[in-house]
Amino acid sequence: MPITISKPILLMPKVPGVFVIGLLAAQFLLFQGGNGPDPKCRVSVERPHHSTSLKESQKFDAIKLNVTSTCNVPQDYTRITAQIQKIENNREVVAHNFSSRVAASTVKSPETAVFKNIFINCVPGVEVAYKGFAKGYVLLKNGEKIKVVGTSGNYEATDCEIGAQ
Amino acid sequence: MSYFEEFLRLGEWLSQDDRRALYKYLLLSNKEIYEVQANLLLNNTKLNKTIANGEILYSFKNGRVNYIAREIASDEFTPEMREIKLTGSHFIDLARLRKFFAQSDVDVIQNYPLPGENPQTEGGFGIDTYPYYSLAYYSNGKNRLSGLVKKFRTNDREILTKLRTL
Repeated sequence: MPITISKPILLMPKVPGVFVIGLLAAQFLLFQGGNGPDPKCRVSVERPHHSTSLKESQKFDAIKLNVTSTCNVPQDYTRITAQIQKIENNREVVAHNFSSRVAASTVKSPETAVFKNIFINCVPGVEVAYKGFAKGYVLLKNGEKIKVVGTSGNYEATDCEIGAQ
Repeated sequence: MSYFEEFLRLGEWLSQDDRRALYKYLLLSNKEIYEVQANLLLNNTKLNKTIANGEILYSFKNGRVNYIAREIASDEFTPEMREIKLTGSHFIDLARLRKFFAQSDVDVIQNYPLPGENPQTEGGFGIDTYPYYSLAYYSNGKNRLSGLVKKFRTNDREILTKLRTL
């Protein structure tokens, strides 16, 4: 009796070739997207300082807060609300809340947005310890929103007092 | 130099109170000009104008108006910075556009001032998130009622008087 050996069908592809190619293409595209850097942004808040520029040009005293947001990928804009805090009677209190601001990046520096006119009048002659704070989000060019928050660090004394709000 | 001309040179040194008072001043003093500009925009769907050292390009599409801006002689326009929705009622839309024009003028004056003695930081375009015609500006994005209360408490009379008289 002749022995019949069945055809080795195990090596036959069980899925159509076109589907396999499609899967490979999808995997390639996924890996391409994954190769870019993880978007990261940070907001840098400089310590609130008594502005000499304003004193010289505008003849008034003001406490200025410089804020910059920087990402490792291009951004459209950053939106923040900033605050200056102070120490009063050994307690941390809000000295001034600034209205919410938006700063757009530029073609030259697409990863950075600079906030320019964040300042508030003050009365010189009184030493007060201030700290800057800002929070908000960055809208990246790819449409993703990234939350950011930052402070200027420790309280530092300045010889000008922000008036009561 | 008038107080207003001085404002055109201050740029980033315009304080929050200055900017808001400037908006109110422009809204009143440019009423007729803004109406002419609004009609031009509604008829032609585009409007180009200059203020201080900046150029503004308005676009009207699908019932909405937005603007982009650039420094005069620069190639680089900002992204779309603000948008306003129109109603289709000519009378209401004229009023809305007047406010929008005054707001965008203040936005551009603070970013692209006329040359002056005040040092300006290079690059970028920064604006107040909420326009001065919105209650959200006064409440900083919180509820409208507190915005309304703060609006009534806000007094820009001193700066406005200087803008009108000096």
